[in-house]
Amino acid sequence: MTATSLKTSSGKYSSKRRMLKENLTAYLFIFPAFLVIGVFGLFPIGYSIYMSLYQWRVRQGDFIGLKNYSDILGDGTGLLIFLLGFGLLILAYFLWNSAFKNGSMLAKSGKLIAAIILISAGIVISLGWKQMIAGGDEDFLNSMIVTVFYALGSVPLQLALALILAYILFQNIRGKELFRMIFFLPYVTPVVTTAVVFRIIFSPRETSLANILIGKLGIEPLKWLFEPKTVTELLFGLKDLNGLLSGPSLALITIILFGVWTFVGYNTVIFLAGLGGISKEIYEAAEIDGANSWDLFRYVTVPLLSPITFYLFLISFIGTFKAFNHIYVMKVPNAQKTVVTASVHIFQKFYTENNFSAAATEAIILFLIILGLTFAQNKILGERVFYG
Amino acid sequence: MASIQKNISSSYTMRKSKSQNFFSRHIGRVILYLLLIFGAALALLPFYWMISTSLMTLGETINRKWLPAVPQLVNYVNAWKEADFAKYFINSVIITFTTIAGIMTTSTLAGYAFGRIKFFGRDVLFAILLSTMMIPESITLLPNLMLIRGNIFPLPGGSWMNTLQGLTVPFMANAFSIFLLRQFFSQIPSELWDAARIDGSGHFRFLLQIVLPISKAPLMTVLLFAFTGSWNAFAWPLLVTTRNTWRPIMVGLWTFVSEAGPETHLLMAGAVISLLPILVVYFITQKQFTEGIATTGLKG
Repeated sequence: MTATSLKTSSGKYSSKRRMLKENLTAYLFIFPAFLVIGVFGLFPIGYSIYMSLYQWRVRQGDFIGLKNYSDILGDGTGLLIFLLGFGLLILAYFLWNSAFKNGSMLAKSGKLIAAIILISAGIVISLGWKQMIAGGDEDFLNSMIVTVFYALGSVPLQLALALILAYILFQNIRGKELFRMIFFLPYVTPVVTTAVVFRIIFSPRETSLANILIGKLGIEPLKWLFEPKTVTELLFGLKDLNGLLSGPSLALITIILFGVWTFVGYNTVIFLAGLGGISKEIYEAAEIDGANSWDLFRYVTVPLLSPITFYLFLISFIGTFKAFNHIYVMKVPNAQKTVVTASVHIFQKFYTENNFSAAATEAIILFLIILGLTFAQNKILGERVFYG
Repeated sequence: MASIQKNISSSYTMRKSKSQNFFSRHIGRVILYLLLIFGAALALLPFYWMISTSLMTLGETINRKWLPAVPQLVNYVNAWKEADFAKYFINSVIITFTTIAGIMTTSTLAGYAFGRIKFFGRDVLFAILLSTMMIPESITLLPNLMLIRGNIFPLPGGSWMNTLQGLTVPFMANAFSIFLLRQFFSQIPSELWDAARIDGSGHFRFLLQIVLPISKAPLMTVLLFAFTGSWNAFAWPLLVTTRNTWRPIMVGLWTFVSEAGPETHLLMAGAVISLLPILVVYFITQKQFTEGIATTGLKG
C-alpha cells in the first residue's frame, strides 16, 4: 500500500509547511527595505499631513484645522474658480480631439467651440488666481509661477535640441560614440559641481565667460544670475507687467540654460534608444516612395517617436517641479524671489524661517500637484500612443 | 538572403542620391558635423572653463585669460589641504560606500522576494513600493530632519545629526533599485530553482550562489545609480551636517562658495576634485552607464 499514500500525505503536510516557510522567508527578505522606506519615505507624508493641521514653529502648537491651507491658498473660492478654469481647459482639449476624429462640418464647429472654451478657461483661471493671491500667501503662489516658468522654459527647448541631436547622431556619423559620450557628460557630472561652475561662468563680472562671449557679439555685460529684472523689462523697458505676463527674470533664464545644458544629453540618449526601435524597412519604403530626408524626419521619425516624446516631456515636467539642488546653489540674494521655485520656497520656509507648519502644508500642496501630473502622464500615455 | 536584399536596396538609394544631388548631400553632411561639433563645444565649454580656472593664479582669474601662463598645480594642493577638501572627500567616500552596501543588500533581498517568491500580499506591497517613487524630496526633508534629531521618537544612540548613520540610513533602500532587480530576477528560468531545490538549497543560498552571479548587468546598474545618487546628494547632508565632522564634498563645495569669496581658482580646483570619482567611474563603465540609463529610462 502505503509507500505512495505515505508519500502524498507527507507531501501535503510539507507543502503547507513550505507555504508558511516561503511566506516567512519573503517577509524576512523584504523587511529591511520596507523598514527604511516605511520610516523615511512613507511616514513623512503622514507626519506632514499631521503637522499641516497644527500651528507649528519648531515646536508643536495648537490644532488649527485647515487654517494653514487657507493661509496659503486663500479662502477656497479662488481655488474653486481656478480649478473650474482647469476643468474647462481639459474640456476644450477633449472637444478639440474629438473634432479631429469626426467629419468636416462637425470638426469646424467643434474647433470653434473648443477655442471659445479655451479663451474663457484662460479668463476663469486668471480670475481664480487673482482671488487666491488676494487671500493667500503671495510668496508661495509666486514661487509656483516661477516653477511653471522654469518648466516651460527648459523642457520644450531641451527636448527639441535632444531630438535634433539624436536624429543627427543616428545617421551614419563618424565618432558617434564620442559625441554621445560628450553630450551625456553634463548629465553625469554632479549637479552641485556644475551649478557652482555656472555661478562663476554667469557671474556679473565683466570678465566672466558669459560676458566675454556676449561682448564678442557687441552686447554690454549683463548681471546674469544677479539680475532680478525680467527679460521684457530689459529689452523693452516694460515695467508694470506682473504675474504670468512679465515672463521670467534673467537670473531664472540663466538657470533654465543650466537645466537645458544638463538634460539635453539624457534626453538624447533616450531618443537614440527610441530611434533604434524604429524598423529600417519603414524608412526604405518611404524613400522608395520618393520622400526626402526632411519628409522622413517629419512623417516617419517624429510620429513614431511620439510615445517617447510624451514620456520624456512629462517626466521632465515633473522633474522641474521636484528640482532643488542646482536652483538652490545658483540662487543669489540679488535675484530676489524671481528664482525661488516651489521646492526652494518650501526648503527656506523651514530651514531659515523655522515655520514648520507652513512648510509641511506647502509640501503637501506640491505633492498633490506632482501626483496630478503623474496621473495625467499615465492617462495620456495610455491613450495617445501613436503608431504610424 | 535578407542581407543581400538590404545591400541592394541601400546601394540603390546611394547611387540614386549620388547622381541626383552629390553636392547638396556633401554639404548636408558638413552641416551635420558642424552642428555636432558646435553642440559638443557648448557641452564641454564649462568643463574647459573650470579646469583652466583651477590652474590659474588669483591675478589670472581676475584679468581673465583663456589659459594660465604656468599651470598652478599648487591650487589643488591648497584646496586639498587648506580648504578641507581632503576631509570632505574621505567623508564622501565612506558615506557612499556605506550607502551602496545598504542599497545592494536591501534591494537584492527585496527584489528576489518580489520576483521569485509567491507570498501573501505581494502585489499590494509591490504597488505601495512603486508608489513611493513619486514622493518628492521636498515633502520628506522636514519630517526626516525631525526624525533624525530624535524629535519624533527616541533613536538608538540619541540624535543622529552629524553622524554617519544619519547621512546613510535614510537612503539605504529605494523602490527603483528593487523594481529593477525584480524585473531581472523574475525572468530567471524556474528550472534553475527546481534544480537548486532538489539539491537541498534554500532561497538564500540560491540567491547568493546562482542568482547573483548571473545578474551582473542589473546589479551593476543599481550600483552605478546608488553611487551617483549618494555622491551627488546635497539637500539632505546640508540639513544634517552642522559641523564638518561628516560633511560630504558637495556640501563642502557649497560652503566654500560663500567662504572663498574671490578665490575662484581654489573653488574650481575643489570642483574638479568633487567630480573626479564620478568621471572615472563614468569613463570605465561608459557603455553600461549609458545603456543602463537608456533602458531603465524607457521602462519608466
